[in-house]
Amino acid sequence: MLPLRQRRQRSNDNLDVKNRMYPEERDKQMKARYQAAGMISVLLLLAIGLLWPARSVSAAAEGKITGTVKLDGAAPHMKGIDMSKDPFCVKQHENSPAHLENVVVGAGGGLQNVVLYISQGLSAAEASQAPAKEPVFDQKNCMYTPHVLAMGVNQKFKVMTSDQTTHNIHPLPNPLAGNIPWNKSQPPGAPPIESSWKAEEVAIPVKCNIHPWMHGYFVVVKGPYATTDEKGAYTIENVPPGNYTVTAWQEEYGTQTAKVTVAAGKPGTADFTFKAK
Amino acid sequence: MTSARNRFASGVLLASIFLLFAASDANALPAFARKYGLRCSACHEAWPMLNYFGQKFKDNGYQLMNDRDAPIWQNNGYWPVTIRITPSWHRESTDKVAVDQTGGQQRITSHGFDVGGLDLLSGGTLDKNLSFLFVLSSDENAVFHFESVNARFDNLFGSPWLNVKVGKFELDNIVSEKRGLTLSGSGGGFQLYHFIPVGDSNFVGQIGDNQFGLEWMGHSANDRTRISASVFNSSDGNVDLPGSNSYTGFFAGSQAFELGKLGTQRVGFYAMVGQAPTNTLTSGGEPIPGGGFGNKTFSRVGFNGIFYLKKLDFQVVTQHGSDNAYFATSTASPDPLPGGARSAVWNGAFVETHYVHNPQLVFIQRSEWIRMSQQAIPGTPSNLGDIDNYVFGYRYMPIMNSRAGFAIHNEYSWIRQRGTAPDGTDLASSSVLLGFDFDF
Amino acid sequence: MRRMMLNGSLVLTALVTIALCSLSWGQATKAEEDQRLGMESHIGKLTGHATSAQGNYRRYCVGCHGELGDGEGENAQWLEPKPRNFTLGIFKCRSTTTGTLPLDSDLFDTIGRGLDSSNMPSWNPLSAQERADLVAYVKHFSARFVTEKPGTPIEIPKKPELTAERLKAGQEVFQRVECWKCHGPTGMGNGPSAATLTDDQNRPIAPYNFHDGKRFKCGTTDEDLYRIFMTGLDGTPMPSWSDNIKPDEAWDLVFYLRSLQPMKSKEKELARQIGLKPGAAAASAPAAQQ
Repeated sequence: MLPLRQRRQRSNDNLDVKNRMYPEERDKQMKARYQAAGMISVLLLLAIGLLWPARSVSAAAEGKITGTVKLDGAAPHMKGIDMSKDPFCVKQHENSPAHLENVVVGAGGGLQNVVLYISQGLSAAEASQAPAKEPVFDQKNCMYTPHVLAMGVNQKFKVMTSDQTTHNIHPLPNPLAGNIPWNKSQPPGAPPIESSWKAEEVAIPVKCNIHPWMHGYFVVVKGPYATTDEKGAYTIENVPPGNYTVTAWQEEYGTQTAKVTVAAGKPGTADFTFKAK
Repeated sequence: MTSARNRFASGVLLASIFLLFAASDANALPAFARKYGLRCSACHEAWPMLNYFGQKFKDNGYQLMNDRDAPIWQNNGYWPVTIRITPSWHRESTDKVAVDQTGGQQRITSHGFDVGGLDLLSGGTLDKNLSFLFVLSSDENAVFHFESVNARFDNLFGSPWLNVKVGKFELDNIVSEKRGLTLSGSGGGFQLYHFIPVGDSNFVGQIGDNQFGLEWMGHSANDRTRISASVFNSSDGNVDLPGSNSYTGFFAGSQAFELGKLGTQRVGFYAMVGQAPTNTLTSGGEPIPGGGFGNKTFSRVGFNGIFYLKKLDFQVVTQHGSDNAYFATSTASPDPLPGGARSAVWNGAFVETHYVHNPQLVFIQRSEWIRMSQQAIPGTPSNLGDIDNYVFGYRYMPIMNSRAGFAIHNEYSWIRQRGTAPDGTDLASSSVLLGFDFDF
Repeated sequence: MRRMMLNGSLVLTALVTIALCSLSWGQATKAEEDQRLGMESHIGKLTGHATSAQGNYRRYCVGCHGELGDGEGENAQWLEPKPRNFTLGIFKCRSTTTGTLPLDSDLFDTIGRGLDSSNMPSWNPLSAQERADLVAYVKHFSARFVTEKPGTPIEIPKKPELTAERLKAGQEVFQRVECWKCHGPTGMGNGPSAATLTDDQNRPIAPYNFHDGKRFKCGTTDEDLYRIFMTGLDGTPMPSWSDNIKPDEAWDLVFYLRSLQPMKSKEKELARQIGLKPGAAAASAPAAQQ
């Protein structure tokens, strides 16, 4: 016989109708609990699986793509610019005459102002991340600095003027392809203009109507990008490991592509050579 | 009613019918289309009939008022000339014509290919606010006459209310016969614009004929309100006739208003009041110009309107006409009038309906009635000279661009005048027209 | 069973998302335009419908603006300036900021007013309803009117009293922001940069000549002039100045610009009275293009 206390508890158990369960029901309940646990773990795995590519990996584990872009052949002669329309511009170039910047070749044949970006291989989430920093496009000495400004879709950028003459900044994207042209003035001392582009476009010509020789480009791409320096060298940072197609764009010579593989700790390399016309 | 007078009357009617068709008057100037780069359909409901945009262009002195109107803005090679010609096959049939051979009357039908004559038009601006128009019109034998030749000073002192036109011009009828959409022998013109009662000698009261004179015209900036007053020789647009010492005045006004989705409607009035001689001095049997005398008065007044109802539009004109008894009885004052003679008075109206399926296809129907309300000589049948006229037709323009116009024009019309057959019964005529209308 | 349905719906959603993302803007085609024939316009109490304007567009507009609304009508080759290409959704005369769509009323006013010194007539003889329908038809040519909202119209403060100080201040604005670079020291359109100006399609274009011009393409009133330089004329070299000219200064500039025009005006009379001459800075610019 059980002690009296236990006997009483057992009888309480039996009298509690709500908690009383038949064996079949108890089995069902256990099965349901297992099912629920199974569903939750599947959902968790699914969530992790979906979010996995979007995770931000520490810098040490992020990959890079590096390389050099060269020009094969004699660099074309870049015409000098007659700035006599504006005495201020003439004065700024008294000691260093200005030249067109369609093709800028450094010593050693390196092509400057080439934009490198990933055209294939990025997932949708990776491609839609807009970096936080704001690239700056400056109007300096009546020329655009830099001549080509690369940026991500929806990435904010700034347009400034460092000149004591009025400019207008007039980007001319293709309105049928998503980005809309605008035209704003920037007299001396004007505050910077902040803007962004909502669609990919390689590339948006930018001009100043007042100074017709001024022209540059906004290159709007998805995902990480880089621009070559005066040696023609570039590094695309923050590239997750994977297989990619990298595109190099130069305003005169067009585009070239190369396949690249990036692994953790092992940057990918892609060199390009454009043929001089 | 003598049979001689009947014959005369029917002869006049017939002659005027053929004359109407012979002088194919029409103003649609592709020269303007070429100047401004606008299609014909911009100014014309269905050419040559004007729509409100075209009417405003005309009222501004053939100017768009966009600072590009003066000829210096045009290409050096631009020459404002237009030609219009309407070759066709047509069939005219009159049911009672007096024939000598039988001594009685019979139906006469004639048909064949024909050309309505040639119109050579030039119009436009000579300088800003100085415009002109001339229309050289020929019959089918290339005998030319000036249908219009005038210069206009537009927007004097910068005001659209001050425009002055001098020369030979069409009277300011908002329903313009010169821009009519009908071309056939018995249906080409509006009877009301040319009606002369039987036995009446007044031929200068035709509001459809172009006149020599001076016109002041004013309109609101958007051309919704229009008024005009003109004075001209009582000579039916002819020069050197005995009537040249008498004048007629013509007054017109109209107001347009928008009726929401239905479109813009216009209503107006007109009044022609004038004097003309009933007698003239002669020299060697020939009338002496300026020798007219025995001036008597006449008047034509009425309402008009243009109503738009989506693709349909209606042109309505009414008229109350009155000719002095001397005119009505063809009596040369101061000869005595026949006993009991009175002025001839009549009322008339027509409604012309268009269905503009698209700017290149328009269907036309016109119904016109004229009823004498007072005959000149008591005892004359009260309906002598009454007219009923029905016209049906369509115009199809296979091409529509800003250089030239081409229309295929088919029309049937039927007209009956009471009591003007040689035997005193009713005279009916019909026309069938199958033709082309070229306008370059 | 539930798991399968969950997976199935996830896959379906993924597929649909991929399909939608692959649709791009692309070139305008007749078929795409026809899908937008349900476009409406709202101006005051009027509602315009694109379907009701098809006949009128064909009657009045097609010769210059073309069947596809791309400015390639049969007469376009002989016109200067060229007719508007509606498919781009870029309009000169707006009350909204640069880079944004115009309001329906901007298009309505342009159609009714016409564009001076161009082949675009004033279509006022058409009824207000017909013009509203045509606004809807003009909009239907560009997909932007489906996906974008019109821009925000700029605020125009009440016009202040004209004073000599304001007139002089207006000239200072003209000098400071260097309007004369294109418009010339006296607004004759002969500034040093005038000869090389091109529009968005790289066609040569001339800056406004205040010396000869009485009416602007985008309006005739002082408020219209205010709006023109504050919103800029999209599609042309004329930029927006709202970032760099304060509203009060903008009115000063309006007064000064009026004094440059040939019509008799209070501004012109006042400028004559106070002996206003082209500013020193402008006078030192390279010789104005003759």
